[in-house]
Amino acid sequence: MNFPRLGSREFLKAVRPFAGLFVVLLLFALDGELRSLFFKGSNFKMILTQTVIVAIGAMGMTMVIVSGGIDLSAGSVVALCSVVTARLIEQGHGLAAVLTFTVLAGGLAGLANGGIITTVRMMPFIVTLGMMGIARGISKWLANNQTVNPESCCGADLCRCPGFSMESVKQFMAYESPLTFFPLPDGVWLALGLAVVMAVVLRSTVFGRYVFAIGSNEDTARLCGIRVNVNKVAIYALAGAFFGLAGVMQFSRLTQGDPSVAIGLELQIIAAVVIGGASLSGGAGSIPGSVIGAFMMACLANGSGIKDWPNYMQEIIIGVVIILAVGMDKVEPFIQRLFKRQSSSN
Amino acid sequence: MKSWLLGAACAALVFVSGCGSQSGDSSGNGLSIVVIPKGTTHEFWKSIHAGAIKAKQELEASGQPVKIIWKGPLKEDDRDEQIKVVENFIARGVDGMVLAPLDDKALVRPVETADEAGIPVVIIDSGLQTDKYASFVSTDNALGGRMGGARLGKLLGGKGNVLLLRYAVGSASTTKREQGFLDEIKENFPGIKVLSSDQYAGATRDLAYTASQNLLSRYGNEVNGIFCPNESVTVSMTKAVRDIGKGGGMVKIIGFDTSVQSLRDLKSGDVAGLVVQNPVKMGYLGVMTLVEHLGGKAVAKRIDTGVALITSENMTEPDMRELLNPPLEKYLGTGN
Repeated sequence: MNFPRLGSREFLKAVRPFAGLFVVLLLFALDGELRSLFFKGSNFKMILTQTVIVAIGAMGMTMVIVSGGIDLSAGSVVALCSVVTARLIEQGHGLAAVLTFTVLAGGLAGLANGGIITTVRMMPFIVTLGMMGIARGISKWLANNQTVNPESCCGADLCRCPGFSMESVKQFMAYESPLTFFPLPDGVWLALGLAVVMAVVLRSTVFGRYVFAIGSNEDTARLCGIRVNVNKVAIYALAGAFFGLAGVMQFSRLTQGDPSVAIGLELQIIAAVVIGGASLSGGAGSIPGSVIGAFMMACLANGSGIKDWPNYMQEIIIGVVIILAVGMDKVEPFIQRLFKRQSSSN
Repeated sequence: MKSWLLGAACAALVFVSGCGSQSGDSSGNGLSIVVIPKGTTHEFWKSIHAGAIKAKQELEASGQPVKIIWKGPLKEDDRDEQIKVVENFIARGVDGMVLAPLDDKALVRPVETADEAGIPVVIIDSGLQTDKYASFVSTDNALGGRMGGARLGKLLGGKGNVLLLRYAVGSASTTKREQGFLDEIKENFPGIKVLSSDQYAGATRDLAYTASQNLLSRYGNEVNGIFCPNESVTVSMTKAVRDIGKGGGMVKIIGFDTSVQSLRDLKSGDVAGLVVQNPVKMGYLGVMTLVEHLGGKAVAKRIDTGVALITSENMTEPDMRELLNPPLEKYLGTGN
């Protein structure tokens, strides 16, 4: 896979989310009040931590969207997995087991999605819409319709009693010292590491290229000998696993399993992926773009908070940014034509 | 070129919205205090806001400039969103925080982080399972439940059958009210029998209405009095009681908190009394206590803002009228 030529259409597309983020930061820097309060290490640490859940979810969602699908069950699966984490901690499992089983639980939901989509040949939109309700329902059931609060019976040192892994799971999203940039919470490092790995996977592995091929044209991909169904199931299952990990992070953030958490999170995740340059018709998108998209939304929210803008203003701004980011795609050929006409008339 | 366009659009947007916001009033050396409610649309929170503004006005009159920032979670009743709001104000570095935590556990870490960052927090309305706060200013909910129990006991003349429809599992404030009610009945009205006290209404009016109907279809013929621990249960239970033709005081209902509908019911006699909190005082004392703490004074760890019982007889008294219709416009009128 060659990197796109400097200045080419593909190149512009790849750098767009970064440029967008740059513009947002630049605008923030122009404002005196924001300059002093926003550009602080401690503030960036907070924004990064707030980005973790959406970013991890966006990595899974990017694969799904690039392959031409959609997963509306992301938010519900995150909630389900936050409850699963809580229950596993309650039952006295260690950190490794809690992580593994929760990620597996998410993967299982994804596997169900992918399985139904490919075998019954149903629209991903419908199947995952159904799963959205199912996962939400199961999480409420599993949590007895309330929040699950595992007791952390002893400190970070290992001792064998139910709940001993609570402290280590809580650690993922804990601020050690709130006034400095470092040390960053473990969850941020984990998300960054995963982003690098997934970027390579999607760009440079056979599986990654299959994802793009399926999203560009499923029939062509099939004719080329790609086992579309197997790969699709793998994509949804892997995405589910990412939502599961996001669920662990959600637990760590709330320090409780909450079946009503993350309502509408799937839309934030999809927005991040789309701002990051993905196309909902498949075949385009990138992991770095999606992560930057998630970061940009957190920056906007944080900046509006600092500026003391009312909540509705914040919602409007993020909404406009989403439309702008995607609208660029449509506006660009128009502008190009405009430029061409100008240069030809000269 | 694309990014230019995106940039230009963003710029326009930010500047347009910047014009609309009330910027540029950060007057030098005043204290900046953020008040974070559970949500922003309910009347209850508007009253808290009014109380905070009242405190600000008094403090300014006494020569202590204060800037009150009012910021609720973007999505109401969303713990994660409230955590974000708290975090953002820690990063921004306010002088102090007044917080009504949505959850007594989920908000523990943000409050401890604020404490670590040297930002004192005063908790209002609902409790928090930590001691890293300056003070806890709220209604004595158990006392509120007891007042309701005492009123119901007196109305029934010390005998009869009563029902308690609980609000929701895990809600600390209403659980205390329910317990206060049951304690009062048990200790002071031995002649009164509690028919049922283990049913939960659920979070919405709709769920509460269904639960009320189910409860009444079982006990409707023998019940003489009902205690409802919050606003949604009060309204729904009253409706269900009217449905079975026992409105107008045939079954004595004691409710908690006020709403437009429950006040109507009180006037028409369907509700025999409402235990009300004092949110204006809660917002006022929250800010006042925080400022005292910031000034280096010792403050009480627990401050009670009082409850009152409103009946159709006393609802026209000036004190009660102010509780029922707090003068919100006086404080929030302009520039809200």
